[in-house]
Amino acid sequence: MKELDEIKLPDDLLYTRDHEWAKLVGDEVLVGITDYAQDQLGDIVFVEMPEEGDSFGAGEEFGTLESVKAVSELYIPLSGEVVAVNEELDDAPELINKDPYSAWIIKVKPDDPEELEDLLDHDAYLKLLEGE
Amino acid sequence: MKKTPLYQWHIDNGAKMAEFAGYSMPLWYPQGARTEHISVIEHAGLFDTSHMAVLLIQGDGAHQLLQLAFSKDLDRCLGLKKTPLVQGRSVYGVFLNERGHVIDDAIVTRQAESLYTVVVNAGMGGTISDHLRQLPTVAPVEVVDLSDKLGKIDIQGPASADILGRLLQDPAGVYTGFPYFSSKGWFDLSQPKSVLLADGTPILLSRTGYTGEFGFEIFLEPRHLEKVWGALLEEGGDRICPCGLASRDSLRAGAMLPLSHQDIGGWPFKANPWQFALPVDERGVFTKRFIGAEALLHTEKVQFTFPFAGFDPRKIVPGENTAVLDGEGRKVGSILTCATDMAIGRAGERIVSLATAVTDGRPEDFKAKGLCCGFVMVSEKFSPGAQLFLTDGKRKIPIEIREEIRPDRTARRTMREMFHN
Repeated sequence: MKELDEIKLPDDLLYTRDHEWAKLVGDEVLVGITDYAQDQLGDIVFVEMPEEGDSFGAGEEFGTLESVKAVSELYIPLSGEVVAVNEELDDAPELINKDPYSAWIIKVKPDDPEELEDLLDHDAYLKLLEGE
Repeated sequence: MKKTPLYQWHIDNGAKMAEFAGYSMPLWYPQGARTEHISVIEHAGLFDTSHMAVLLIQGDGAHQLLQLAFSKDLDRCLGLKKTPLVQGRSVYGVFLNERGHVIDDAIVTRQAESLYTVVVNAGMGGTISDHLRQLPTVAPVEVVDLSDKLGKIDIQGPASADILGRLLQDPAGVYTGFPYFSSKGWFDLSQPKSVLLADGTPILLSRTGYTGEFGFEIFLEPRHLEKVWGALLEEGGDRICPCGLASRDSLRAGAMLPLSHQDIGGWPFKANPWQFALPVDERGVFTKRFIGAEALLHTEKVQFTFPFAGFDPRKIVPGENTAVLDGEGRKVGSILTCATDMAIGRAGERIVSLATAVTDGRPEDFKAKGLCCGFVMVSEKFSPGAQLFLTDGKRKIPIEIREEIRPDRTARRTMREMFHN
């Protein structure tokens, strides 16, 4: 298991208390899970993703991750419509373990980009991890 | 929480640790449970199983005590002809209570005329010792609980004999006449039979395991554990990796081996895939009297336990709101085990494994994505191929009742096939 100082946490991402990350690219937001989450889950063997066009409210469950030991819910960091899912993960869910920040899971068109301000920045998320 | 002598090694090597039966044990190492599972199928894996408990049953009354308490008939158990358990051979069975419920399962080995080893699950050494000591005996018998006094390493996978052979003083001798479910040597020098490592370390070597794959369980004094563990990893090189409890669980689920207190436990030991543990003759009649037999004979209303496999790696981990549903959505039972066997996948109607030969139907471009599998306990009898669903209240995944889960397992292969020096 990784020590806290081995967990990769890019500065330019926003984070949730449920260990998802969000990144604004143009007017869309990429969503994935953090290095901490993938390390805790262990090998990911299946990703159950929503359909393109599905809409969710902030904090709602949008899919599940199957790891070797558990099934974990995925929660969307902000309200919006799913405009793309990462189909590469269908065949290679292990990409999330290899590089959780390249392996985005869904791309969201936010209802209200200002909701991004409710998410944690690098330092706030690190503080959360230090408390776990 | 208890620790095995390899605890510090696990920590130093980055294991994710978790509590299991009162012990802090590795779940997986940094390479991950998938790599560990596949390493056992293709080459070898090394498991710290020092949390398991070993009992010695010795004395003139030992045989009779086991005949009373253990489900196998030690006078009629080996091979098709059901010959008696001779020295050096092992059998799998269960200890039942008077109600026919499982106290624990065990591998019993006849080590000498009046000396048996009984290997039970982690934390069960005291329970089974106490149970045996309060039973009537016809002759003196001593029950010794070696919990936490022995180290144990399992080396499992097709390369096991080659890797272990490099450490043995006389591999050709040890590997001659060494069938599945047999045992050689002793864990110290107190018995007049020995399997020695090249440096003189005595080991009790058993051709058993909990993965469904070819391999050995090695019992030894705890002071030798770290040395032998390290030597096996070094000799194995890139053909072996340390494995945690997650891959142990996924391997045994695919091999349809039960986990005590989860797949068998506080309910009658009937209508499950492990009835071979009972002492029945060809007419289905018990060949001996033993504790729990009467209850099994007179229990009519039972639940059925069946192996199952899914159609992709998705699983439902047994919990409060989980259930087994039939095609109409009616609740028909509960989930006992649900794990992902990561070495298998579907090829049309069939399940194939990474170990399946291309000539036996494995597609050349087969990529094992894994299938969920395990055991369900249901109120009706279903035939192999019957389709049911697992649910946690939110998700619903289809499964199929199976006779076999992971094909082409290697546990029963001969030494001749598996040792190449």
